[in-house]
Amino acid sequence: MLLKGIGFTLALFAITIVTSIPLGLGLTFLANSRIKPVSLLTRAYVLVMRGTPLMLQLFFFYFGLPFLPYVGKYLIMDRFPAACLTFALNYAAYFCEIFRGGLMSIDKGQYEAARVLGLSSFQTTFRIVLPQMVKVVLPAVANEAITLVKDTALASAIGISDLMHYTRSLVNSRAEVTPFFFAAVFYLLFTVLLTRLFSRLEEKFKF
Amino acid sequence: MEMLKLINVTKSFGTNEVLRGVSLSVRRGEIVAVIGPSGSGKSTMLRACVGLERVSGGTIELAGRALVRDGVYVRDREARDICSRTGMVFQHFNLFPHMNVRDNLCLAPVLRGLLDKKAAAERAAELLYKVGLADKADAMPSELSGGQKQRVAIARALMLSPDIMLFDEPTSALDPELTGEVLTVMRGLAADNMTMVIVTHEIAFARDIADRVVFMDGGVIALSGTPAEILEDPPTERLRAFLRTFSRSAQSA
Ligand SMILES: Nc1ncnc2c1ncn2[C@@H]1O[C@H](COP(=O)(O)OP(=O)(O)O)[C@@H](O)[C@H]1O
Ligand SMILES: [Mg+2]
Repeated sequence: MLLKGIGFTLALFAITIVTSIPLGLGLTFLANSRIKPVSLLTRAYVLVMRGTPLMLQLFFFYFGLPFLPYVGKYLIMDRFPAACLTFALNYAAYFCEIFRGGLMSIDKGQYEAARVLGLSSFQTTFRIVLPQMVKVVLPAVANEAITLVKDTALASAIGISDLMHYTRSLVNSRAEVTPFFFAAVFYLLFTVLLTRLFSRLEEKFKF
Repeated sequence: MEMLKLINVTKSFGTNEVLRGVSLSVRRGEIVAVIGPSGSGKSTMLRACVGLERVSGGTIELAGRALVRDGVYVRDREARDICSRTGMVFQHFNLFPHMNVRDNLCLAPVLRGLLDKKAAAERAAELLYKVGLADKADAMPSELSGGQKQRVAIARALMLSPDIMLFDEPTSALDPELTGEVLTVMRGLAADNMTMVIVTHEIAFARDIADRVVFMDGGVIALSGTPAEILEDPPTERLRAFLRTFSRSAQSA
């Protein structure tokens, strides 16, 4: 049973990471857009997602959306998709902020050299800027990933049968505390594993 | 034939008039050294010639093609095409830190479809040999000294077979003992008849290498002449005062 819970936890983690990072990158470009309304709107979005509790956002997307007038009935989602969507949108905002900082750290001489060599802005972004940005943001992304491991436990609040959910029901039904320790060890191992993975990545991006 | 021609170029940053009618023409194979006090617009002039700054008025022609005529720019694609025939070397090298030396050289010609990978690698090897860094193709920029980085930057610009090379204080960021190796490479280019415009504070080097020295002051070209006319027998008090600051710093260094 706990294994099934771990499955949900891992799935939520994986889906959030692979969707929120590209989404965050997209938001970064929008936030830096020269079209003022686009960048203002994006920044407002990031502010709201980072400035309100993830738990509140979960409740909003799962319980709240269906109550919206007119469109509500089309916005009824199952628990798991609702959780994935919320996590992706929330983490994308955090990643956007991290990537924006990373972009600002790139020396403007890099853009100038690329331009003088005749590279297009697309080529400059993908061959010159992003690889250097990755190096800068990796530590912050690692932190965010570790936070996400623990945040997945929030999904149990809307009734998703993740590790936290099963742990709690086991503790209740058996009246013993060991499941808590089991869960703690799992989260801890996961975190340690991620930390090692990221330090290996950082090693690769040393230049 | 004129490889670079500026006619009455003006440029302001807000209310700060940085170029106030700069006219300059550089013939094929000519070497022009640009000297002048800090803030006189030397960098802005060079940067305008490669499209890094947009001028407010005047005409800039590169190898006979107008980048901007009477303050009106050609279309963006054409502008890029014209500018990419011009090599630019920056004070701070601006190598791409995440690529090794060979990839720094090969990236632009390969991405732009000017050379295939193999031809680019061969050309890179030749140019690295020419700048004395044949053994550094696999090194990362962070492993190089400042003088080596600047020589790589020069080789990188040469990969595109430019019509003209512009240098913006190529040795100013270097420790004094490393300037020589960069100046030697530039002398090599001069021997190959490369057209060059060199903004520099190396007065002795300018005297040696330049066919013409121009003195920029307050956003205009205040004086222009042979190295002997400008440097040995400076005609104005402004220029004499400017040159004195150098002889003094040269003595104290
Ligand atoms: N991007 C910029 N924005 C505003 N002012 C600038 C900018 N670049 C240069 N300037 C101003 O233009 C003037 C000339 O600068 P510059 O061309 O760099 O002079 P030089 O290279 O001769 O020292 C200076 O007063 C400088 O402050
Ligand atoms: Mg300058």
